[in-house]
Amino acid sequence: MTNEKVDVVIVGAGASGSVYASVLAKAGKKVVLIESGPDWELSDLISSEIWGRRVKPAGAPILLEGKNPMGYANQAGWGVGGAALHYFANFPRLLPTDFKVKSEHNRAHDWPIAYQDVAPFYDKVAREIGVSGDAKAEEKWRPAGEAYPMPPMKTFRNGEIFLKGFEAAGIPMVPAPVGMNSVEFKGRPACLYDGWCHVGCPIGALANPLITYLGDARKAGAEVRAMSTVTRILTNQAGTRVTGVEYYDDKHQKQTQEASVVLLAAWSGQNPRLLLNSATDKYAKGLGNASGLVGHFMMTHNVASTWAMFDEDVKNHMGTIAVQYMSYERYAKTSHPGAFGSSFVVAGFALKTSDLAGSRGDLFGPDLADYMKRAARNLAGIKAFGEDQPEMENRVELTSDKDEFGMPLGKLIHSYSPDSLALWNANLEEGLKVAKASGAKEASSGRGGPVPTSHLMGGTIMGTSAANSVVDSYGQSHEIPNLWVAGPSIFPTAGASNPTFTIFALSQRGAERMASQWGTLAN
Amino acid sequence: MANIGRRGFVKGATLGALAFTVGGVEVIMAPGEARARNVPFRLLDAHQGDTIEALGETLVPPAREAGIAHFIDQQLSVPPGEALLQARILNIRPPFAEFYRTAIKTIDDRSRKIFGHDFAQLSAADQREFVDRMRQNKVEDWTGPPGALVYAVLRSDAVDVVYGTMEGYEALGIPYMPHIPPEKRW
Repeated sequence: MTNEKVDVVIVGAGASGSVYASVLAKAGKKVVLIESGPDWELSDLISSEIWGRRVKPAGAPILLEGKNPMGYANQAGWGVGGAALHYFANFPRLLPTDFKVKSEHNRAHDWPIAYQDVAPFYDKVAREIGVSGDAKAEEKWRPAGEAYPMPPMKTFRNGEIFLKGFEAAGIPMVPAPVGMNSVEFKGRPACLYDGWCHVGCPIGALANPLITYLGDARKAGAEVRAMSTVTRILTNQAGTRVTGVEYYDDKHQKQTQEASVVLLAAWSGQNPRLLLNSATDKYAKGLGNASGLVGHFMMTHNVASTWAMFDEDVKNHMGTIAVQYMSYERYAKTSHPGAFGSSFVVAGFALKTSDLAGSRGDLFGPDLADYMKRAARNLAGIKAFGEDQPEMENRVELTSDKDEFGMPLGKLIHSYSPDSLALWNANLEEGLKVAKASGAKEASSGRGGPVPTSHLMGGTIMGTSAANSVVDSYGQSHEIPNLWVAGPSIFPTAGASNPTFTIFALSQRGAERMASQWGTLAN
Repeated sequence: MANIGRRGFVKGATLGALAFTVGGVEVIMAPGEARARNVPFRLLDAHQGDTIEALGETLVPPAREAGIAHFIDQQLSVPPGEALLQARILNIRPPFAEFYRTAIKTIDDRSRKIFGHDFAQLSAADQREFVDRMRQNKVEDWTGPPGALVYAVLRSDAVDVVYGTMEGYEALGIPYMPHIPPEKRW
């Protein structure tokens, strides 16, 4: 079945797709978002470890390979809001050094834009959806910008207790910027600090897309088609333009949606899968893949977690899943000798029972029962996110195995480089020192087990031309002008900061560009 | 937004319980209650149920009484996209029942080889030793999903069934503080 042509069809109703939908619908464009998962409402976000799994990915899996397979399911979403429905809303920015790694270190890539190009959009997003924090305190590490619209969040003993140890290590900690309300903001209530953010915040204190961009988009007329899976992007006979998408609707009926512009805003594993599966005679390697780079340079963050047991009750049930304190003190790419890459250091967050048990995955039986009793009062954690370098061999490719719609499954291959592993180990060592200097009577880390992966980036990276990238800095394909890509898949380097603030900022920048250039895109 | 409410808001709570079949009628109850009432399994056979209970109890006591087998059985009976199993989070490919069946078969096979009995018939000490080896991928001639993965999936499910409920939080003295409380206190 063919639907009436629209201006823009957006694949995925998560963080990036929601921003585009909001900007373009407000600009008067007819927008349809096609989302593979359910159309969640806030009232679906039950405060439960078990029921919270409903908003994690379902459907066709991505097959995982490599020495360090990406544990993507916790980092991805399913349904409107995408991963940003259950994200932790940590809002650190990338720093200027992230945009010029090649120039400064002769490694990885330069972005085709600089920090200064994105900074106004960080500020704009903060004004739009609300960020709590202390911008002035961050400016020891980054260029000045606007103050955040809300003061920092409350802190709790589970974060404060580490300040002494960080001071001893020479790491200044400042209030972390978060996409949560420390006070009422635009009619949305202040946070209650009960730590259920990871299963979705139903009161609107956390800035998820349902109550920000996607809500605005719907008010402006954007349509969401949930439980609908896009399988191909369609092109005209000449191969000069995309004409829409093929998808299977909520009744598993095949449909076509024509559009003037197609925006891929699925997650980093799915955007390349769709491009590769849309190969034609004219694009034998996949759409927009003259560079041969579609699917390549998949990146993540390694996470060095340190768990500390204290004598005192640290009230670890209080707070948010976002962090209370952060530091860019180890962000310089050469901070740790012999371990290239940035590290982003954080402390203080609420723990649920799954976190308590997960902090010592080696324990079971009576040993676990004893540990849980102690951890319930006395456990707190610190983390360092470490930069993963873009490696050509870390990639998404299609397999001969098919999903229920006949679309080849994607395979995501990822191995950490020696630098990434060295960075993880260096951060674990420093974390243990900080925990001990903070007065912990026991401290443990995940060393010896699998190296965790957090966040997904790359696969359709931005650059200056089709010789070195898939899209330009706005997300526009180098080869097909009305094909655009959004989200972390366009990051050419990963930095060490949580990515969603940058996803929102880049999407705002890209959407405004699309709207301003509409005359050259539409036909 | 203001009327979305504060802590204690209950819209949607009817989604928060599991449906078990009793006498041909669907009844909403927690897995521990289903076990106490001897609700028949939907997919697992008796031996598979016993084995999952024995594994759960070894990993996270008192998972048997908390209804670990009834939880897994009920969740295997719903479409994969609605399942709440840890297998979904750890990227196990549906159908999830295949993962559990293969794991149980391998565990029993190796248990008989090492200790001479199926896992569920071992002493508690031998069950602990077997699980410790499985956790470290140190069971010889293991086939099927890696032992460490089986350990992680079953342990996480058992943790949530035992500790992830309102009763579990109470037992540890942790305030639950829900925005939207789950029905049947879990």
